[in-house]
Amino acid sequence: MEVVIQNIIPILATAIYMSTPLIIAAIGGAFSVRSGVMALGLESMMMMGAFGAVVGAYFTGSVVLGFLVGTLGGMLFGFFHAVLSVTYKVNQVISGIGLNLLALAATTLSMQLVWGNRGMSPLVNSLTTNIGGFITQIPVIGPILAGQSINFFVMVLVVIVSWTVLFRTRYGLRLRMVGENPKAANSIGLRVHALKYSGVLICGALAGYGGAWLSLDQLNVFVRDMTAGRGFIAVAINILGRYNPSWIVPCALLFGFADVMQIYLQNAGIPSQLIQMLPFVVTLFVLAFGVRHIRAPAGVGLHEDS
Amino acid sequence: MTPINAVEMRGMVKDYPLVRAVDNVDFTVEQGEIHSLLGENGAGKSTLMNILYGMTRPDSGEIYLAGQPVQIRRPADSIALGVGMVHQHFMLTPVMTVTENVIIGNEPTRGIFTDYKKANAEVQELIDKYGFHISAKATVESLSVGQQQRVEILKALYRKANVLILDEPTAVLTPQEVKELFVVMRELKAAGKSIILITHKLRETIEVADRVSVLRGGKMVTSGVFAKDCDASQLALMMVGRRVDLYSTRRSQVVGETALEVSNLNLSRRGVPILKNLSLHVKKGEIFGIAGIEGNGQTELIEVLTGLTKPDSVTLKKDGEPLTGKPADFLSNGVGHIPEDRLTRGLVVPMSIEDNVILGYHKRPAFSRRGLRRTKAIRTYAADKVKEFDVRTPNAKNLCSSLSGGNQQKVVIARVFSQNPDVLIAAQPTRGVDVSAQEFIYSKLLDLRDMGKAIILISADLDEVRRLSDRVSVIYDGQIVAESKADVWDEMEIGLYMTGSKQAGEETSE
Repeated sequence: MEVVIQNIIPILATAIYMSTPLIIAAIGGAFSVRSGVMALGLESMMMMGAFGAVVGAYFTGSVVLGFLVGTLGGMLFGFFHAVLSVTYKVNQVISGIGLNLLALAATTLSMQLVWGNRGMSPLVNSLTTNIGGFITQIPVIGPILAGQSINFFVMVLVVIVSWTVLFRTRYGLRLRMVGENPKAANSIGLRVHALKYSGVLICGALAGYGGAWLSLDQLNVFVRDMTAGRGFIAVAINILGRYNPSWIVPCALLFGFADVMQIYLQNAGIPSQLIQMLPFVVTLFVLAFGVRHIRAPAGVGLHEDS
Repeated sequence: MTPINAVEMRGMVKDYPLVRAVDNVDFTVEQGEIHSLLGENGAGKSTLMNILYGMTRPDSGEIYLAGQPVQIRRPADSIALGVGMVHQHFMLTPVMTVTENVIIGNEPTRGIFTDYKKANAEVQELIDKYGFHISAKATVESLSVGQQQRVEILKALYRKANVLILDEPTAVLTPQEVKELFVVMRELKAAGKSIILITHKLRETIEVADRVSVLRGGKMVTSGVFAKDCDASQLALMMVGRRVDLYSTRRSQVVGETALEVSNLNLSRRGVPILKNLSLHVKKGEIFGIAGIEGNGQTELIEVLTGLTKPDSVTLKKDGEPLTGKPADFLSNGVGHIPEDRLTRGLVVPMSIEDNVILGYHKRPAFSRRGLRRTKAIRTYAADKVKEFDVRTPNAKNLCSSLSGGNQQKVVIARVFSQNPDVLIAAQPTRGVDVSAQEFIYSKLLDLRDMGKAIILISADLDEVRRLSDRVSVIYDGQIVAESKADVWDEMEIGLYMTGSKQAGEETSE
């Protein structure tokens, strides 16, 4: 336990760092679910984001363009999900799972086609800008922020803007109305399909950005099955966070914290196999007991004519 | 000088596969009147109004609003032209506030933000203007059904609706709420609005409407007669096309032993008590009616009485013997069940009428031998039942999904009645069926009662309970709060018990 207390600041710093992509992707999920479309495909959108980011950075040499291509990759799969589940009214669970399988296969095949190696991409330029300057001089907060990349600010911006959009703008109210009761939305003349598409596309963009973080911020390479279940953890965070950006942040931090604790406690004399279970035990307990009283938007999976 | 009509529909036609739902209909509503559009289920009144509201596109016909020809393609068009619709199944979002539900689609904004302050003020002003007595900031789920309906009306008013379509507005209301709704309707009329009241209830039409139009089988059979010149049986004749028996009934002649006795019934869900020490009994040869607003424990009571739910405690006796077990045991012990929702518990709609008519009794030797279906026997049996219970279908092999609501309900009735139950739990037996089917089902229920069977009738339709029951009771908040012989209480008095504003034993103040 002393290990944890002595290292509390680096632990918090790492927890925030590790939570960053989860927060961004889970907020993407919030836009999707609020529009009435389940976000089970987050894993695929993050995967496409991570892959697209490396492709972008590989061919342009630019990290910024890498993030852009990654975001577009996520949106592409968001678009697929919208076409299937909104236009063709396919069961959203099936569409989501199908896309998750497709993303794994498609990225593996593409790596073989582009780089002749299905396990790993070549190394690319990655994000190196860390927060520095006067900010790091602030007591307590400074050392925590010192380890963060510029994406910390992106994340904070996404949280604030998303919350504002969802709960303070006309678009947000309409999106939520569509997610709660598509028939009612249709009956007063809202464009239900367009709103659902927008929600799912925003979801794809944010999940794609979160995926790009994995390959261009944390690492500088894409490896097969890079997301490794983070998309599903983002799904859980989204539910636990009540599809609300301001709740998603602490929930994601909980997961990030469990992840980091796992790393630190490995040196504490407890069998490492037990310690490594920690993040998954947290997920299990959260999903088993934490989400029972959380009400999803009433119109999830429904259509304006059903 | 002729006044300009608020709504004029000319030569409207709408075809659906196999059926012409609206057949060359002319329909006119004057400015500032309450116009009742009367018809049975499937007569085309909802289709006609959906055309006016832009939910359905007509195959031909012209629409004029305030004398101007208009094209209505989607609800947004009709809203912009001042038409508002209050749907039977409310188009509301329960978790959102009254204001949010009302302003959506026409939100006042300041910059990029929704101006909630202004919105709340505007909506509250509208609420106060019409005396609706609700708070703009309340969430819709915290409101009563009658209040939710006012939110629907507010939605239309907020959009400056000049013509209001009310689709079966009284179906979900208590008698008191109906009276309040009529007050609201008259107020709106006084404010110059035109109101179209879609209904199949004759008394309401006569009470509140200025003029009446009647649709039957997609055709306009009576157009714009004055309501005060009509009586109920005249209207029924127009609506159904033949004389129907609207009020007649007969009371039990011979009441026997207690057939089913329930006492000490307690049931909680998630720690919330739903049924509280409820007791009741029904005798042979008697219909025991239970009236009440939905959600006061009726569903759970039905589930307990049919073995679908195990309560926390209960003493259940049939003919003096304890009754326990699974739903199948209840059935084989002679407790029949007409479920309150035929689509979830009554029928397997994607299966054939043959299958549905033996459902739950399919293991009986008449229908199965050594685990195999006796196809021929089932077929003959089903064909008999289709005939006996007047199910309108060319063939019993057809799917139940191909039947109208009334005919589906007849399949349920046929199944239950044919197995000759001693006790029948009849929940909402005529919900959503037309007048003819209703008449048929009523006569079957009375016949069964006269054969000495015991019937518990649970219904939200107060007229139904009052008409059929030999003993009437009211369920409120998980208890039977009042009970009386038939024909003692009037409608308003039962209504007071239903809302809990009057307890048994109190003197009527009116």
